[in-house]
Amino acid sequence: MNSLQYGWRNLWRNTRRTGITLAAVCLSTAILMASYGLMDGLMQHAVSNATNLVVGEVQVHAQGYLADHSIYKALNEPDLILEAAKQKNVAAAPRRYGYGLVAVGTKSAGARFWGVEPASERATFDLAQHLQEGRFLSETARRGVVLGQKLARSLQAQIGSEIVVVVQAADGSLGNDLYTVTGILKAAGDSIDRNAALIHAEDFVELFVSGDRIHEVALNSRGMVPLDKLTELLSIAAPEEEIKSWRQLMPEVSDMVNLFDAFIWIFGLIFLLAAGMGVMNTMLMATYERIREFGILKALGATPWGIIRDVAAEALVLAALGTVLGTILGLAGSYYLQQVGLDLSIFAGTYSVGGVAFNPIWRATISPKMVLIPAVLMLIIGVVASLYPAALAARLDPVKAIHRP
Amino acid sequence: MATIVNLQEVTKDYGQGQALTHALRGVNLIIEAGEFTAMAGPSGSGKSTLLNIIGGLDRPTSGRVLVDGREIKDLSNTELGLLRRDRLGFIFQSYNLIPVLTALENAEYVLMLQGVPTAERRARVREVLAEVGLEGLEDRYPRQLSGGQQQRVAIARAIVSEPALVLADEPTANVDSKTGKALLDLMHRLNEEKGATFFFSTHEEAVMKRARRLLQLEDGIIRNNGATADIRNTE
Repeated sequence: MNSLQYGWRNLWRNTRRTGITLAAVCLSTAILMASYGLMDGLMQHAVSNATNLVVGEVQVHAQGYLADHSIYKALNEPDLILEAAKQKNVAAAPRRYGYGLVAVGTKSAGARFWGVEPASERATFDLAQHLQEGRFLSETARRGVVLGQKLARSLQAQIGSEIVVVVQAADGSLGNDLYTVTGILKAAGDSIDRNAALIHAEDFVELFVSGDRIHEVALNSRGMVPLDKLTELLSIAAPEEEIKSWRQLMPEVSDMVNLFDAFIWIFGLIFLLAAGMGVMNTMLMATYERIREFGILKALGATPWGIIRDVAAEALVLAALGTVLGTILGLAGSYYLQQVGLDLSIFAGTYSVGGVAFNPIWRATISPKMVLIPAVLMLIIGVVASLYPAALAARLDPVKAIHRP
Repeated sequence: MATIVNLQEVTKDYGQGQALTHALRGVNLIIEAGEFTAMAGPSGSGKSTLLNIIGGLDRPTSGRVLVDGREIKDLSNTELGLLRRDRLGFIFQSYNLIPVLTALENAEYVLMLQGVPTAERRARVREVLAEVGLEGLEDRYPRQLSGGQQQRVAIARAIVSEPALVLADEPTANVDSKTGKALLDLMHRLNEEKGATFFFSTHEEAVMKRARRLLQLEDGIIRNNGATADIRNTE
């Protein structure tokens, strides 16, 4: 008979009380897991949208480019960056940027032109699949353009519409041409939605007379290479350039992720405390009911530490049982939330935070940490909550305890 | 013969001011190994207090208490717990078995505290339970045993670790006279065959008769302290 077996038997001396406490621990664990899964899902969705869609994990620009987006501030040696990325099996997409006017019929708007290499974009990002209608740019330059959702709407452009483009080229001349809309992006963040016009890199060079200027290399390992390692790799390959992680490029999203992270802990703490109070209450009641018994155990030679161990073991058994049941319930709930999700479209529709679009269907993720963290914390809080009643039992005067009616 | 208990001018007071009660008033007592000593006296005479002090469950107000050669007042609570575990056995009036433990588990509790390996302690407990007449009832819970059987389990629990002294507080008070006699026979036999030292309180005439030595406690003072036959002859 060890402390755990003794604790197990003691639990069932009052089945109703134990049942109620078990239900509280079980529900707290389940809610904690499902909430953690939802929050983690939202964070992963945010990070995934932020990085996999278009931004990447790290971007490299010429010093000062991000301040004024000048067409003349190009990377010194983009090939070295692409080569370093290739050596580490990290996908990279070189991009060129320029500004101009676009018009369809009588409708016109300012646009930011992206000169992209379709094959690199496809290999590095999800943008090529993120289309509301039409198709992404083909591998060969054919005067095709993919527009941001809101830009297309303001121009009343449709697939196949012809767009007149007027830009100021790098050599000072006016560049103009006629492009055909091949695709319209889904919501991808406010900035892209309002002014992005994606064209083939070769078309861009021709339109802007930009030569071999590359303004940005965006790298995306899809989580395979830690952010700090990726940054370190690039600082060696391109020490002169400006290297920024997605957290620096999108501080709002980074802050939001940190906020969610803090929220998970605060939310979790509240549930843990509530469950811990339940365990403490049960153990206090159990202790008061068994004062005489503890007195006998002390008379027989049980040390204060032995009494503490017995009470804590009983709480551990209670918390462990509740946690196991809660884990089963929490996993079932999380599975449902992963498969079906919570539809928030009636509240928010498609929305974006910090320029990153969010799917209104909020889905949970299931991961080892979303199971382990709540489970381990619940076990710890269960045992910690028992220490006060355990200390009370350990400090009992055996004579008074034995003669208690 | 080795001295197990040595009490010198032991007093114990409860309360203060006008509520001050002198439970023990200068008790001197020596108990040697192998004794079978009863302590008689009316309610409130200090029997339980004396047992509690000898058992290290309570501390005296003044005087010296040496149990198994160790001064009680010098020991911490944990050391007192270890003394009780290793050198003393307790039999309570109302059995005081742990309800969620079987007869075997109740009896082995002290050995478990001592860290005796499972196989060894199980063997010893089965042997002792057989000695107290509980063979075949090892797996029963207290609620499944009669009062007499429960007290036998308590006796087994008290003697299984072969303590220097077994203290019993009116061990036959809660059982019928036939069961009481059987329990007393058992304690007597354990005293004679195993050399277990017993010191117990009682108010029953039949129990007093069986003791080799009988103490009379009145108002916290030992009035008679000698062989049972001598005391009875003087009465």
